[in-house]
Amino acid sequence: MVSTPGRAAPSNIYDLGYRHYEGLRLGRRHAMFVLYLESLRGAFGLGRGAAAKVAPAALIFIAAIPALIQLLVSALFPGEAEVFAHHDYYRVISFVLGLYCAAVAPDIAGRDQRNRSLTLYFSRAIERTDYAIAKLAAMASAMLLITLGPQLLLLVANGLVAEDFSTHLRDNWHLLFPIAGSALVGSALIASMGIAIASQTSRRAFATVGIIVAFIVPTAVARILVVGIDTSATHYGVFVSPLDVLGGLSSWMFRQPTPRGGAVAVAGFEGWTYLVVAIVVTAVASLLVLRRYWSVRA
Amino acid sequence: MTIFETRALTKRYGSVAALDDFSIEVQPGVIGLVGANGAGKSTLVKLLLGLIEPTAGAASVLGYDIRREGSHLRQYVGYMPEHDCLPLDMSAVEFVAHMCQMSGLPRAAARERTAETLRHVGLFEERYRAMSGYSTGMRQRAKLAQALVHDPSIVFLDEPTNGLDPGGRDEMLDLIRRTGHGLGISIVMATHLLSEIERVCDQLIVIDAGRLQHYGPLAEFTEATQFLTVEVTADPEPVAAALRRRGLTCAVEGHHISVRVDDGSAPYDLIRDTVVDLRVGLVRMSRRRHTLEDLFSVRQAQASEPVTAREAAS
Repeated sequence: MVSTPGRAAPSNIYDLGYRHYEGLRLGRRHAMFVLYLESLRGAFGLGRGAAAKVAPAALIFIAAIPALIQLLVSALFPGEAEVFAHHDYYRVISFVLGLYCAAVAPDIAGRDQRNRSLTLYFSRAIERTDYAIAKLAAMASAMLLITLGPQLLLLVANGLVAEDFSTHLRDNWHLLFPIAGSALVGSALIASMGIAIASQTSRRAFATVGIIVAFIVPTAVARILVVGIDTSATHYGVFVSPLDVLGGLSSWMFRQPTPRGGAVAVAGFEGWTYLVVAIVVTAVASLLVLRRYWSVRA
Repeated sequence: MTIFETRALTKRYGSVAALDDFSIEVQPGVIGLVGANGAGKSTLVKLLLGLIEPTAGAASVLGYDIRREGSHLRQYVGYMPEHDCLPLDMSAVEFVAHMCQMSGLPRAAARERTAETLRHVGLFEERYRAMSGYSTGMRQRAKLAQALVHDPSIVFLDEPTNGLDPGGRDEMLDLIRRTGHGLGISIVMATHLLSEIERVCDQLIVIDAGRLQHYGPLAEFTEATQFLTVEVTADPEPVAAALRRRGLTCAVEGHHISVRVDDGSAPYDLIRDTVVDLRVGLVRMSRRRHTLEDLFSVRQAQASEPVTAREAAS
């Protein structure tokens, strides 16, 4: 069958080749924000293979398990007591926080060094300081997901335990401040430490082990010094453990007593001291990150 | 208008001067930056990009000071490093678009330009594949794409044909020539391969031991010599003998005859008539030009003379 051309449709010729760009260039802040977003996406394996998504997703799920248990209890036994409290939540998931940091920080801080793509970033519209700040911000945001998320879930779950959900929320809205405050300070503390360690090496395994050691070993050391030796001088050992600092800070912010027998309870320091220590450690770790990226070879 | 200029630019690592009192004003074009390994080519490029801080001196690229306006300047500059630098778990389209945004372009423009640029470098069909599956040539193209995607005014290419086979090298050089001459983007190509400079560049910067040796149009380096090269289809010896009988000074060099031109006017007609009289086919008759290899052979010979003299004296 022979096709007969009807009225010819108007045709256009498009030049699909390389063209010059005359539009806006949004500069340094835009580039920093793009780097922040890409780093955050990378932390959860978005835009990568399935394997990259497994560890962060699994650890976020594990961190939410206490809150999910609370939800289950409230569903099965309405009106029963709280199983997990806000001020104690970080103590319960402390090792998950460390593992999550060890899984995510090497990707955020070490990936560009592993790929040797730092050169490409530093030849873009950012300064080295911007790069460091974007990486710290991305890590802190990634940590917020595992600190703030389960706490908010727990708030909802505890509300479901109560007889009237809206009344519970109205009576406990003040909890939002310590929830947000402890999540922000804790995320900044853990994120800055994680990035400070992970940025020192391009090897993922070294960074992961380094972060695990930095969170777990000090916890054991603090327990030996504070609970085991138990003198007024060794009580200061509680400050070497970031997870205990987070625990003390959390109890203080929620105005609740610390668990008996723990390093924080035995040390007996005022709650605000943990806030000061958290801020100082965060500042020092952030400076180490800046120093690393100022001097790293590109 | 200059694309970059330096004034007494110096970079020292301890007592070693990687770049020493380097002053130059470079015009737009496709510029070859040539020197031996360790001559200071990469140091100069990294200084101009702000990747390293100069020890002394000043420089500006596209009119922007490299110390004070680095991040602003880098919106208009592209860079393709020598070493591997690609995140192989990403696709080319994702990575190049990300790098485009890192140069300040909005997301929508970045996506659009990424497709155009990947088409320009010949990776359009493969753009959604993870770069881990790319060949060396494809990875070099992806590196070039990220350097071009934000429409820079100047692109620095550091050994762009590194690791490529002859076919891949030809394609890459062709791509660089099309980018430089066709799109009007100034290119500074650092390489130690003189043949690549001859094929692509119109200006040349010669750098040695961190110091500027020469800068100028490539034609200055490859100007015509006082010799004609004649190539015939038969044995060149009888042709050369016939040319000598007719008063020309010539010598057989392999399959060619080299004819000296003394008074400036080339004896094309005389050579043609001689070849016709001998019933031989004439393949080529052209003015011989200096090659960069000739130039560097002379320089290296000059550089080694004092040593040879000292050795002879001792």
